[in-house]
Amino acid sequence: MNGIRFRLNGKDTCYEGSAADRLLDVLRDEYDMKSVKCGCKEGECGACAVLIDGVLINSCCVAMGAVDSHEILTVEGYRETARFEALSKAFADLSAVQCGFCIPGMILAAEALLSKNAHPTEQEVRTALSGNICRCTGYNAIVNAVMNAAKEGDGLW
Amino acid sequence: MVNGYKPTTLQEAVEIKGRTDAIPYAGGTDLMVKNIPDAVYLFLNDIDELKQITQDDEYIHIGAAVTFTQALADDLVPPLMKEAISRIAAPAIRNAGTFGGNLGNASDKADSVLAGFALDARVRLVSVSGERNIPFDDFCVRRGVTNIGDDELIAEILLPKEKCALPYYYKKIGGRSALAISRVAFAGAYEVRDGVIQAISATVIGEGKFTRYREVEATLIGKKVDEVRANADEYAERFIEKMTFIRGRVSTEYRKVVVTNLFKDYLASLE
Ligand SMILES: Cc1cc2nc3c(=O)[nH]c(=O)nc-3n(C[C@H](O)[C@H](O)[C@H](O)COP(=O)(O)OP(=O)(O)OC[C@H]3O[C@@H](n4cnc5c(N)ncnc54)[C@H](O)[C@@H]3O)c2cc1C
Ligand code: FES
Ligand code: FES
Repeated sequence: MNGIRFRLNGKDTCYEGSAADRLLDVLRDEYDMKSVKCGCKEGECGACAVLIDGVLINSCCVAMGAVDSHEILTVEGYRETARFEALSKAFADLSAVQCGFCIPGMILAAEALLSKNAHPTEQEVRTALSGNICRCTGYNAIVNAVMNAAKEGDGLW
Repeated sequence: MVNGYKPTTLQEAVEIKGRTDAIPYAGGTDLMVKNIPDAVYLFLNDIDELKQITQDDEYIHIGAAVTFTQALADDLVPPLMKEAISRIAAPAIRNAGTFGGNLGNASDKADSVLAGFALDARVRLVSVSGERNIPFDDFCVRRGVTNIGDDELIAEILLPKEKCALPYYYKKIGGRSALAISRVAFAGAYEVRDGVIQAISATVIGEGKFTRYREVEATLIGKKVDEVRANADEYAERFIEKMTFIRGRVSTEYRKVVVTNLFKDYLASLE
């Protein structure tokens, strides 16, 4: 039996477990990617979001077999980039982080948006983040931070 | 791989379906929430043939593994379908969720299925022993039940171009603007010439099952739009009479009132 081969944050990886295992659990428990949070396991909160081939996907709704031959990015990989720096600075400047639980998902949702649309309107930002639930901030600071990152980080996306 | 099959062609997938009990898996957004114990999946997400949107003289073909995000960016997909799927959940779900999954899941609240019903959609099913091409009406039996065979896979859905070109009506009523499953939704496509209704479809989410109300539709065809508008209450009553309103999470009273209002709004919008 062949394992499931994929790239995780740029590294070739082979998972020998069940193809039915949940990507969220495997990322956290097998590969120690603790930025990927579990808020619901129902696709509702976005805290478990990762990028698969650059596309935002909730990892709780993915079975391992589906990622065979694909490329996964979590914040552990993304944090090495200048784009992450720009988002991180904007989130800090605008105090857009409170407890932090939703933030990895928010950051990747923002990256998914900005990589396709470097100069989004506020409404486009709100739509892009509409699957990411935050219990602390009331969203406005997060939306403003993404708008700011797009402005300050002009040219990065 | 352990507990899974990952074919790259539809032919292989159909053969696996024919000889195993593996569960077809497209985007996983319904399956992973259901969390079926000891599941063995037949992964369809890397089969190129199932990810195409094409057209011929008569139909727009949408592959079973086409995601909502992909369809929203494609010019071939008609506006009614786009409007219905653009309101599904949020980006991460639209990036994964597929047309085959929406239909295969047999939910009575599937938004792409609603639009398909209004457009006289058909579904093409394939198995090792051949294929079937049947209307949505025949495929969807009731909530939780379709008439797919044990050895069949959904290959694609087909939308008649003639219907895709018609003016349409669509409204979704959910609990909030994102991540809201439809409580009630209404879709219809129609053709009015010289003030007279030539063709009309009406279909809803809210009864508890998908159906077309062909008798009521038939009573509207050939009627003047003005007459229909003037007697909207009466037509709405006939429409509601045809419905059985299967018990669900949202009260029957509420659904009846909203469906009645949407039907009248639909009639008022005809032009
Ligand atoms: C948070 C959240 C919000 C949602 N909101 C909405 C909403 O607003 N509107 C809506 O309509 N839906 C909604 N859904 C449901 C779901 O996203 C859709 O039904 C989606 O279309 C399912 O597609 P999938 O590819 O993910 O299906 P999967 O989970 O992969 O499969 C669903 C079912 O279809 C079967 N199947 C899949 N492909 C095939 C095939 N080719 N042949 C035969 N059987 C097949 C599977 O075996 C399974 O039974 C939501 C889901 C979540 C988690
Ligand atoms: S844990 Fe995946 S969406 Fe909430
Ligand atoms: S900062 Fe606490 S959930 Fe968003």
